[in-house]
Amino acid sequence: MASISSIRNFSFLSAYDKFSCKITRVALDAVGSREKLPTISNPKTVKCIDWIGKNLSSAENRLILGASALLSQPFIDASNKDVDAKTRRYSICRTVAKIIAGTLTGFTIRKLCIKSIDAFTKLPSEIKPDMKFKNLRKLLTPTIKFSAEELAQYKNTLGTILALGIMVFTNFLIDAPLTKALTNLFAGKGDAK
Amino acid sequence: MNIAQLFNNFKNTILTKYGSNPAKMLIYTGVLGWFLSSAAQVVAIAVNDKIPKEQKMFLIPQEIGDGAINVVSFFLVTSVIKNFASRLVSSGRLATPKIREFLTNSEINIKTKNGWKVLPGFDFSKFNIKNMTNFDQISDEYNSFKNGVDVIAMTLGSILSCNIITPILRNKYATNRQRKVLAEFNKPEIGGLKYPKGISMDTYQKQVTMKFSKPSASLKI
Repeated sequence: MASISSIRNFSFLSAYDKFSCKITRVALDAVGSREKLPTISNPKTVKCIDWIGKNLSSAENRLILGASALLSQPFIDASNKDVDAKTRRYSICRTVAKIIAGTLTGFTIRKLCIKSIDAFTKLPSEIKPDMKFKNLRKLLTPTIKFSAEELAQYKNTLGTILALGIMVFTNFLIDAPLTKALTNLFAGKGDAK
Repeated sequence: MNIAQLFNNFKNTILTKYGSNPAKMLIYTGVLGWFLSSAAQVVAIAVNDKIPKEQKMFLIPQEIGDGAINVVSFFLVTSVIKNFASRLVSSGRLATPKIREFLTNSEINIKTKNGWKVLPGFDFSKFNIKNMTNFDQISDEYNSFKNGVDVIAMTLGSILSCNIITPILRNKYATNRQRKVLAEFNKPEIGGLKYPKGISMDTYQKQVTMKFSKPSASLKI
């Protein structure tokens, strides 16, 4: 019985959190308790860090990941000498196609979803008389106390969750066919050479 | 509990869980996003008639490996880097001048000619700025700074795990899978040829061809 209840109480995320905290503690111990403390004293750098925390949503994050993926992944595939030249070429073409398709759809859908959530998460002071669907504008606004920054992050989170739901379909309807078309386009160009 | 109450609870839970912790949300939704994307890509390769069967043997395991390794490395590498950066800020190791002033006034740090120093014998592992009784005085500055550091660490961690670690590991995995599948596929022809390790697919295929095109001893003049 004890083991059954322990399985029931087992939460992957909490176990994972504990694991991750333990690794962090080990890493911090390895760094040691330095006597001199690092301080970010440049006001521009501090402002920039604050801005990133406030404004970088999952959409921008996807864009950054896509751009950096284009700079690294094709070269990693190109240096994979364990496969024959033909497979290597297909692999590079598909990697580039996948990054372009995934980044374009991922960024666009996330951005649109966050915008849509924002339209229905208004504060009473933000609702203007000439607005359409006035009754629905507060539909997604939380009912507990929050700061402006918390509300912005809440909109990003809700928008990202909505985007993930939509992407279950668009991954098959847009991402995959677009990847296929781009792979064939890039592979075809290679064949012509 | 009616539907309206459940809906309000859902909204409020999202706000309390992720409103002050955007990087955590990025990690969880990122993992889910990679998983869904990989599932779609596997289908895309499988139904692409223009990719030869031999390449599919590499590309499908490459995609499955990509998805699985991406999810695992995202969780392990990205999250550990994010937690590390987060702890640097919450323990007061990394701070802005305003936070340092606050910690100095609270007698946690000492200001010297060459910058700030920690009090001798101070235990970082048990300290968290958020648990200080006068935390409200610095909460806005601290939360903005910590969120920024978290998101930067999370983004750098994602680049490292998704764009460097994952492609290297998934290529290794897919290559092994392709070799195994090819060996299985050509079993009647290649007979006793040992499982190829440490050689390229080109070399392996050449070896297979050479083995079966070798003239037999009886034909020697």
